[in-house]
Amino acid sequence: MFGLSFLSPLFLVGVAAAAIPIAIHLFYRRTEPVIEFAAMRYLRQAPVEESRRRRLRELLLLALRVTALVLLALAFARPYLAGAAGASGEATVVLVDTSASMSAPGQFERARDRAADVVRAAPATHAVAVLAFANAADVVSPLSADRAGALAAIAQLKAGAGATRFRAALERAGEELGGRQGRIVVVTDLQESGWDAATDSGIPEGATVEVEQIDGPNANLAVTSLRLESGEALAVVQNFSSVAVTEQVVFTADEGGAQKRRLSAVPISLPAGGSAEARLPLGDLQAGALMAAISDREGFVADNARHAVFDRGSAVSVVALTASGHPSESLYLERALAVADGPGGFRFRAIRAAAFAGFDDGELDVVIVAGSNGLDERGRQRLAEFVRAGGGLLVAAGPDVDAAILSQALSGVVATGWRLRPPAAVSFAPDDSRHPVFRPFGGVGTLGNVTFTRAALVDAPDGARVLARYTDGTPALVEEWTTAGRVLVFASDLNYRWNDFPLQPAFVPFVHETLRYLASARATRTEYLVGELPAAAGPTPGVVQLDARQGRARRVAVNTDPRESDPRRMTVEAFHAGISRLQARAVVAAQAEARREEDAQGLWWYGLLLLVVSLAAEGLLGRRLG
Amino acid sequence: MTTEAADRRGNELRFLDPAILARIGSLELKARTVVEGFLSGLHRSPFKGFSVEFAEYRQYLPGDDLSTIDWKVYARSDRYYVKKFEEETNVDCHLLLDISASMGYGSRGVTKLRYGSMLAASLAYLMNRQRDRVALTTFDEAIVTMLPPSARSSHLRSMLVTLDRIVLGRRTNVSKPLHLVADAIGKRGIVMLISDLLDEPAAVIEGLRHFRFRGSDVIVFHLVDPAERTFPFQRAARFRDVELGDELMAVPSIVRQQYLDALQRAIDGYRRELGSVGVDYQLLDTSTPLEFALMAYLSTRVKRR
Repeated sequence: MFGLSFLSPLFLVGVAAAAIPIAIHLFYRRTEPVIEFAAMRYLRQAPVEESRRRRLRELLLLALRVTALVLLALAFARPYLAGAAGASGEATVVLVDTSASMSAPGQFERARDRAADVVRAAPATHAVAVLAFANAADVVSPLSADRAGALAAIAQLKAGAGATRFRAALERAGEELGGRQGRIVVVTDLQESGWDAATDSGIPEGATVEVEQIDGPNANLAVTSLRLESGEALAVVQNFSSVAVTEQVVFTADEGGAQKRRLSAVPISLPAGGSAEARLPLGDLQAGALMAAISDREGFVADNARHAVFDRGSAVSVVALTASGHPSESLYLERALAVADGPGGFRFRAIRAAAFAGFDDGELDVVIVAGSNGLDERGRQRLAEFVRAGGGLLVAAGPDVDAAILSQALSGVVATGWRLRPPAAVSFAPDDSRHPVFRPFGGVGTLGNVTFTRAALVDAPDGARVLARYTDGTPALVEEWTTAGRVLVFASDLNYRWNDFPLQPAFVPFVHETLRYLASARATRTEYLVGELPAAAGPTPGVVQLDARQGRARRVAVNTDPRESDPRRMTVEAFHAGISRLQARAVVAAQAEARREEDAQGLWWYGLLLLVVSLAAEGLLGRRLG
Repeated sequence: MTTEAADRRGNELRFLDPAILARIGSLELKARTVVEGFLSGLHRSPFKGFSVEFAEYRQYLPGDDLSTIDWKVYARSDRYYVKKFEEETNVDCHLLLDISASMGYGSRGVTKLRYGSMLAASLAYLMNRQRDRVALTTFDEAIVTMLPPSARSSHLRSMLVTLDRIVLGRRTNVSKPLHLVADAIGKRGIVMLISDLLDEPAAVIEGLRHFRFRGSDVIVFHLVDPAERTFPFQRAARFRDVELGDELMAVPSIVRQQYLDALQRAIDGYRRELGSVGVDYQLLDTSTPLEFALMAYLSTRVKRR
């Protein structure tokens, strides 16, 4: 069922303006005298109008004027047809927390019992649904009157390794309510970290939220990090308790297939509320997967192990083409990438542009063009083929890069061009701070500290996207998508010649994110959190093989979100405070949705069109009335 | 009253404004005022000698009307003599007065009906003085009152009373009463129609033609109010038909000329069509002194002699 709603209903007050022509009409009628006359026979032969017909015309005229004013007010009020109204009846939606923080011994059994009690105690008139939630919420028993089905679904639930995300769960529960009046019962440990995932969502106004709190352990040990550093495996263990404990970290190697080899157990001492590192030299182990595990019997089970993959191919392979191949020509790029050398980081080489045609170093993810002199025909062809095949290309349109050569080399693949322009001091800022390249900067203006003395004037073609602009409004960073890969054109150089960017703190994260973004078509990330991969790939922690894409099959580690290991819990009041914010957000979200609907429908245009028609009709009729 | 005094009075009253005349109480007095003023004015006019004239004295014979004995002669001569008058004409005059609702319209204090009544009274008075027999018929869409022809002074008085008590009628339908009266008239005479002629011209003319067919002389007094003649309105207004009650919205500045043209066409049409059938047509603005109307009548009589 659809109903007419208004985006700016206050403008409907303007409908009162319709009283103006009505008042004028009535006033005008009163002032028009009536004259008794006898020789009407001759007056009728003059072009006069019968009073009755004229009155009809006047009423029509009045109606048109009133209509015009009403339409004007309606158009300003931005009408739209609101979506489907809520379903009928009342409902109880039970949200059962299955996150890793519910995995302490005996904890989830209590949660199941409590959820079952809620289902049994639900009012007989209520339909009941059961949803399990961690990163996301899944309906395990859809809304129905079938209590037995709901209880059976609850009995099947198990604690997982996902992170607690109240917001997503409540939003899903709100969807399940579908506009019904009802209540949402959350069976959870009220983990404090469960609120912090920011998404634009909310719960319906008509829903009430109740909490069934399940107590959890106050102490927990968790392996929060496992990485490779200088030939060593480094595991970080966090002690979430108020007492110091000793523990040992067991490292296990997974060299592919079903082979798992226990490498060593490293004892550690954990201060109260602190962390400790366990290091293990890897020796001749150059590739494969590694697991670091502890045996915490009191705390959460899901965070007792952590996995890492250190396959060689996991690093982003980057080649910079320079004019002469001298290291100084790509010095700052090399230094920026060196901080993340190795698996999961970058593998960087700088070569002469002239040598690109014969360059062969296996997989190549990103090519940075910092010089084009000497790029021969074969090199140009290879560059074009590389981009066509989905390779990432970063063009630093600095002094050593000839726009004509690049344009010729990438003809038919990349349309973005540039030309030199007179020196001018400018800085730059992101056009869209949500773009992956600029996400680490979080909208903070650190990029604005970069001073450019020279810049190229980039012509962004149709279809290209300007990611950043100079302060004079010209494009500073332009992205263009090819059939398989991505191309970024930076309208200056990256070697401290036309700008001081390499000296700024923002340079390293900018280069990293830019290259990761360009390489993301050939994803190189080796670690994911539970819930980040499609459900079939990573519902539980471990090492999983990702589908082969673009000829590259690879293994990645899936781990529990470290924040989930923190057993601190919030109070019910704090949880409800979060609900209020959600409800407030729901109102905002509803307004945004209304705005979207109104934009899509554009009914106000029709209102204005009718307004014009009625005004035109009014004009014609008014002229006839004299 | 001496001749000089009568002359003076006649001059004063000769062109009495109808609006002023209308304020005089009795219709008989109005008629007398108009006619006597008119007649005294005629002493110097070419229209003398039309009234009833003294013929001779002769000795009373048994059977003569005692009222005709001249007692002054008897006082001087001690003999009975009777006055002998010679009536120049012996015609029946039929006054037809339109009393339809449209005759109730008047913009200057005197309505067309009031003016028509005074005109009818004056004519009746004048003709009564001439010993003509006068009949009166009032009508709207049908005949309302009908007084048969008579030359008696008592008849004149009852006629004046009738005229004085006229009540406005309903819609105009001139032709139908005309035909009825034409059929009712026994002998030839003079028919005088007093009306604003707000009816279908062809029907009116046809009705008057009926009288002509019966051998009667016909005079039409077409009464028009000054506001109808000039359409002096300025502001846009709703004009309500006094007969039908329906309304027309009109802006006078826009419709005035067309209205006046339509009226003039109607007047010209009546003048032309009635003239062609031998009917005298006299257009009378209700601001015109009644003497003009009487003059028109008398001039018609002159032509007929």
